[in-house]
Amino acid sequence: MTNNIFIVAKYEFLKRVKTKWFVITTLLGPMALIAFIAIIGYVSISSLTSDDKTVAVLDATGILFDGLNDEDGQITFVVSNMPEDSVRKAVIRGVFDGYLLLDDQIISGSGEATYFSKDGGGASFFSRKLRNLVRSTVEERRLLEQHVPPEVFEILNARVDVNMVKLSDTGETTGGTEAFAVVGFIMGFLIYIAMFVYGTVVMQGVMQEKINRVVEIIVSSVRPFDLLMGKVLGIGAMGLLQMTFWAILIMAGVLLSGTVVAAFLDPATLNLPASASQDELLAAADFTIPSIEPAVFIWFVAFFLLGYLLYASLFSAIGSSVEQQQDAQSLMLPVMLPIILSIVFLQPLIEAPNSTLAIVLSMIPFTSPISMVVRFAITDIPFWEVSLSFLILVGSFIGSIWVASRIYRVGILMYGKKASFADLIRWARLS
Amino acid sequence: MPELRVDGVTKRFDKVLAVDNASFTASPGRILGLLGPNGAGKTTTIRMIAYITVPDTGQVLFGDKQVGPWSQKQMGYLPEERGLYRKMKVGEQLTYFGELKGLSHSEAVKRVKHWLDRFDASDWYGRKTNELSKGMQQKVQFVTAVLHDPELLILDEPFVGLDPINAEVLQDVIMELKEAGRTILFASHRMEQVEQLCDDICLISQGKIVVNGELREIKKSFGRNTILLDFEGPDGFLDDLESRQLVRINVRSKSHAEIRLLNDTRPRVVLDEALRHTHEISRFELVEPSMREIFVTAVTAQQGAEAIEV
Repeated sequence: MTNNIFIVAKYEFLKRVKTKWFVITTLLGPMALIAFIAIIGYVSISSLTSDDKTVAVLDATGILFDGLNDEDGQITFVVSNMPEDSVRKAVIRGVFDGYLLLDDQIISGSGEATYFSKDGGGASFFSRKLRNLVRSTVEERRLLEQHVPPEVFEILNARVDVNMVKLSDTGETTGGTEAFAVVGFIMGFLIYIAMFVYGTVVMQGVMQEKINRVVEIIVSSVRPFDLLMGKVLGIGAMGLLQMTFWAILIMAGVLLSGTVVAAFLDPATLNLPASASQDELLAAADFTIPSIEPAVFIWFVAFFLLGYLLYASLFSAIGSSVEQQQDAQSLMLPVMLPIILSIVFLQPLIEAPNSTLAIVLSMIPFTSPISMVVRFAITDIPFWEVSLSFLILVGSFIGSIWVASRIYRVGILMYGKKASFADLIRWARLS
Repeated sequence: MPELRVDGVTKRFDKVLAVDNASFTASPGRILGLLGPNGAGKTTTIRMIAYITVPDTGQVLFGDKQVGPWSQKQMGYLPEERGLYRKMKVGEQLTYFGELKGLSHSEAVKRVKHWLDRFDASDWYGRKTNELSKGMQQKVQFVTAVLHDPELLILDEPFVGLDPINAEVLQDVIMELKEAGRTILFASHRMEQVEQLCDDICLISQGKIVVNGELREIKKSFGRNTILLDFEGPDGFLDDLESRQLVRINVRSKSHAEIRLLNDTRPRVVLDEALRHTHEISRFELVEPSMREIFVTAVTAQQGAEAIEV
């Protein structure tokens, strides 16, 4: 009865693609993603800057103040000859943001510097900056008093860069590990959407049909398994369409990103002439667009589809057993747990893609769609390992759709009683 | 035209025996009334006929083959609990149901238009279902059952929510299908409708079939033991007769009573009492029991002394 599966899938697909929800999420999805990235970017950048502050300096040494100078002009140092008590009061009144007490023994090494303020300084960007300024001023003064030649100064101040290079069978890729982490993260995130969001759409659809009582008419025409499969495939097709649209946008975005980044780079800071080309600018800024190998993409699509299918089958079993959204919550938790776990472990996975944890997570079928794709994007994984993980996933899907369709078959016609997990297991075992 | 044969069918849910060794036959060109109190096992029986569930033992045959996906294509089902996709357009959802029954897309569209036309509802085609009134949805629901011109039609309370005019349109359609040789199962609690429409009766109580056969024969077998009385004046004598266990009053209003004779009470006992106490009698008729009376009698007998409300 594959024809029935096709008819159900066709209507599920068309019905959903025509809704406002679909059009809006498809168009706004990328904007939401950009907004999300922009907010993260803004927050992390704003933690790198701080408001302008005025700091009173009580300099017991009498010579350090001249060296205290913030080039960015965010911290203004004002020397004060008043007694500490009155400076303290001035800070409390708000005349200064705080005051810095420099011990007279500080240059000889036994004294220390203390910063007093109403907010205590904290671990903010400001306190880090103040610390660095005081430290370098004191260090410079100490070196100066030891008559260290200026060449040594220069050597001490020279930057030390450490470059990251990814090794693989096909050669090496420079400067791209962060980029690969980002690619892995985006792929993991997309699979998360496929499993969780589209899985929930399947669950809602099953529930709606049961609540509307339409399901009795449909199962008097097609087998419950055909209805379930058609629904899962139809919604999957909708998801695939949405993802393809987003993927095209992301690819276009990646191709354009070089131009965008170059536009923000100032040739002067990279010691390049103002007439420097875009390529020269990007090379100097260490910016490379990571080239994604076709294998990464193929495995991504494969795990994306199977991950969706696995979770859609589980969610449909839940949807068939409840009549109210609230009742679904408690049954959803165990299904959602592995998805949440794979997101939680994303960071350690990106940091150590070949750790035991990473390997285990990428073999367990409930976490492998996200974990394996993220690992694969970052590091080289032997073919047998990916294949094994994929086969386990396929096998789990076949098992889960079989169990789910048995639960579904009974669940869709059960009304009035709130089902428990024990009920679901019992339904699955009914002949 | 194939006949439907339910043959020794049993279905159990956990500890509840929903249907207990039920056998009956529905013939083409006839309407079989499927009756029974709530929870008697009617819906379970219907679901097994519709191949939504399968019996534990026994079999359901349509023609000489067991029901299955093949018979679903030849069967139209109007469930008691009505359901449509609320946000889908009427035409679209009817076409969908038609396609699921094996019609091609274009054929389904054609038939949907034909049936909506028949129900004076052509302009609903592009409207969303949740914009329709209950009665309108009811008609749409009926169309889902007949769209593919099924051999077997299962109608569970088809007239609920319809005004008299629409009810008549629907009744005409059902009679037409019967004339065309379709096998029709009609489940209802409305005994007047059952009496009006059905040729055969199958009464289920507690999962067992308690009465089965041709409606006319069944009525005859119960004998002329019911009196229809129209009168004017005091009606206390009825209570008196009932308290003496001579009769049971089935239907009673200010000037009318349907009286069932019990324990071989003779009709003239009732007439004597009526003559003595009422001012005037405009009707005294000995008739066969009504379907309602048969229902109550049969179910009460099956369930023991428990009083049953219809």
